[in-house]
Amino acid sequence: MKILGIDTSGLVGAVAIADGDLLVSQFSIQYKTTHSEIILPMLKDVCDKIHLDLSSIDAIAVSKGPGSFTGLRIGAATAKGLSMALDKPIIPVPTVDAIAYNLYGVEKIICPMMDARRNQVYTGLYTFVPNTPEGMSLERSFGMQVIHEQFATSVSEIAASINEIGKPVVLLGDGVPVYHDILEKELKVPYSIAPFHQNRQNGAALVALAMQYAKEGRMISSDEFAPEYLRLSQAEREAKEKEKAPSGEVESRKLEARKNPGIIRIREMTAEDIEEAANLEKSNLGKEAWTQKQLLDALTRDDTIYLVAEKAKRIVGLCGVQNISGDGEITNVSVAKDCRGEGIGYKMLKQLLERGRGIGIADYTLEVRKGNEAAIKLYQKAGFKSEGIRPGFYDEPKEDAEIFWKRKEI
Amino acid sequence: MRIDKNVEDDGVIFMSIKEKDDEPVSEKNNEKDVTILAIESSCDETAAAVVRNGREVLSNIISSQIALHTIYGGVVPEIASRKHVEKMNGCIRAALSEAELTLKDIDAVAVTYGPGLVGALLVGVSEAKAIAFATGKPLIGVHHIEGHISANFIENKDLEPPFVCLVVSGGHSHLVVVKDYGEYEIIGQTRDDAAGEAFDKVARAIGLGYPGGPKIDKAAREGNPEAFSFPQAQIPDAEYDFSFSGLKSSVLNYINQAKMQGNELNSNDVAASFQRAVVEVLAGHAVKACKEYGYNKLAIAGGVASNSALRELLEKECEKNHISFYRPSPVLCTDNAAMIGAAAYYEYKKGVRFGLDMNAVPNLPLGDRERRFHAGKN
Repeated sequence: MKILGIDTSGLVGAVAIADGDLLVSQFSIQYKTTHSEIILPMLKDVCDKIHLDLSSIDAIAVSKGPGSFTGLRIGAATAKGLSMALDKPIIPVPTVDAIAYNLYGVEKIICPMMDARRNQVYTGLYTFVPNTPEGMSLERSFGMQVIHEQFATSVSEIAASINEIGKPVVLLGDGVPVYHDILEKELKVPYSIAPFHQNRQNGAALVALAMQYAKEGRMISSDEFAPEYLRLSQAEREAKEKEKAPSGEVESRKLEARKNPGIIRIREMTAEDIEEAANLEKSNLGKEAWTQKQLLDALTRDDTIYLVAEKAKRIVGLCGVQNISGDGEITNVSVAKDCRGEGIGYKMLKQLLERGRGIGIADYTLEVRKGNEAAIKLYQKAGFKSEGIRPGFYDEPKEDAEIFWKRKEI
Repeated sequence: MRIDKNVEDDGVIFMSIKEKDDEPVSEKNNEKDVTILAIESSCDETAAAVVRNGREVLSNIISSQIALHTIYGGVVPEIASRKHVEKMNGCIRAALSEAELTLKDIDAVAVTYGPGLVGALLVGVSEAKAIAFATGKPLIGVHHIEGHISANFIENKDLEPPFVCLVVSGGHSHLVVVKDYGEYEIIGQTRDDAAGEAFDKVARAIGLGYPGGPKIDKAAREGNPEAFSFPQAQIPDAEYDFSFSGLKSSVLNYINQAKMQGNELNSNDVAASFQRAVVEVLAGHAVKACKEYGYNKLAIAGGVASNSALRELLEKECEKNHISFYRPSPVLCTDNAAMIGAAAYYEYKKGVRFGLDMNAVPNLPLGDRERRFHAGKN
């Protein structure tokens, strides 16, 4: 059995070729390069050096995910192309399982963690169980036991699961250095961290595991194979959240805010907030402030989102956006004078930008008085860039408007 | 032309486009024939085709995800990329089997490597490279817009450069002189929004939804194109450039005002008047370019090239000015791989070959060749 393995699920780009019990070659690069530019040249290099006739390969193993979405697709499309052209099956290998297989024979708990950002990890729990091969007395062979299949979760959740098992654990993967502090704080069992020769995606471990799978017949045709992302795309997640947002949510949040004065709650503006919101506008903007009627109008449209910031039962911030065919025009951003410098504006704006995506806004724009340094600083912090000036836009005093845009990153 | 359609369980529409009805594919390759397997995945269509000698389409398979993206009001790159991985092999297999060929009979593998959505492009690029490597066939990267222009070679067997080409799609509005095969001079382009983008936004604003182009085209047929006079921007010092942002804003402002004042909006009239403003500028620039540069052939390409008002106006204007007018049939105006195979053929003949380090280039400029991926560039 000759297996070619490819892993581009993370920062490591790896190819490996094993023939029966022999690892013929492996080539691995962990460096900020583009997988798409290097993975096939790497494979070609290996093939040239070991005089490999590609058609002699029996199967193509590929890290099926989770991992970087783009990285997984580069590996998947490469494997599918090779598989179709060579007419050989694909062996999909769960990425986290392959990382765990680095630690063959370890009878502790093995917990790989791949950083999935925002305190989330792709992880799983494994251990190796010894067997005595038939007719042998001292020899042991190990089988990898999956205690918890690979999944996406928070660092705290996986730490809690490890504590529950209560046995020493070996940690590995690129999530470990990122969340070391949280792990140190939350783990209640002795833990060690695998050294660098065995703590990342590894082409050799991938093909070794694939050899096992091949024996079990876990091979599929190239057309059937697609990566396992373990996560929906952002657009799908947002659409789902919108669907399931309970109507009583606003009420319960209000209650919570009353119980915790001092805490700032950002929530959608409701009709009851209008009077307070209009007063806030007025004290900040004077003649340019929106009236109650304008705010109510804006609230009842379905192409707008208006948020308020609530602190100690009081409305201390207001912001809103209107969707004009995919362009989000931010119409108001207001924070009570005595609550400035607490980050309320940034918090509101960030939520507004996130929620706006849910009503189809791609790019955001707003105007601001050219001399309003505090506001401009806030917009820049939120990722807005100045794209021009509208001369003499504001009255009393006459002042230019600076036009800011935050365009969608492709 | 015949199109076989099949809607799959996940909403993706699988299409096989046959040039001639019920005619078996012509016999085996002659030795001199060049047969190219072409792949395209720059946006929301997964496509594969087999093209012989640049102009003969042996198969043309398109797997369109358009229905999946409609609910989001536009193409979602991550969803598009995921679908490409799922659909690509099926498309390639179908393209080969309809052409009654195997990978052994193919002379080269061609793929769109830009411009487009990077995640989407990468699927086609990775797949094409793997196939080229595993089969030992040459690899050719193709510019998506050069593909659109080359769709004209498939439809019009007698068309040869030089000619002027108006390229209008969701992401592009270019006026190009095609000097020779693979040699382009851009004489005009959009300063802001592409024409297709303006179509999409206006369509959304009057509640027609996505995709905007065909929906506006349809609504406009029921409306009065003279109902409103929306502005047609001319760019000083760059007479062939386009600007659709002002037009778009003016239409959107009109719509907002009407809503605010509670006036009934005749969306058909708005669509027709907006469309008239766009196509008059496009056609005006294109015909003027032919006259001033002294070319008597004008071709159109890209998604918006299937717009019926644009076609009618250009036909009329070209006839009046004794210009031969060329246009691909609507199905060749959408994203497809046959056009990539057509463009790749002329690159192949010139000896252009790409290395296995080819990457997707999301903002690949037209005409200005990306040589860093060419094989043997050292």
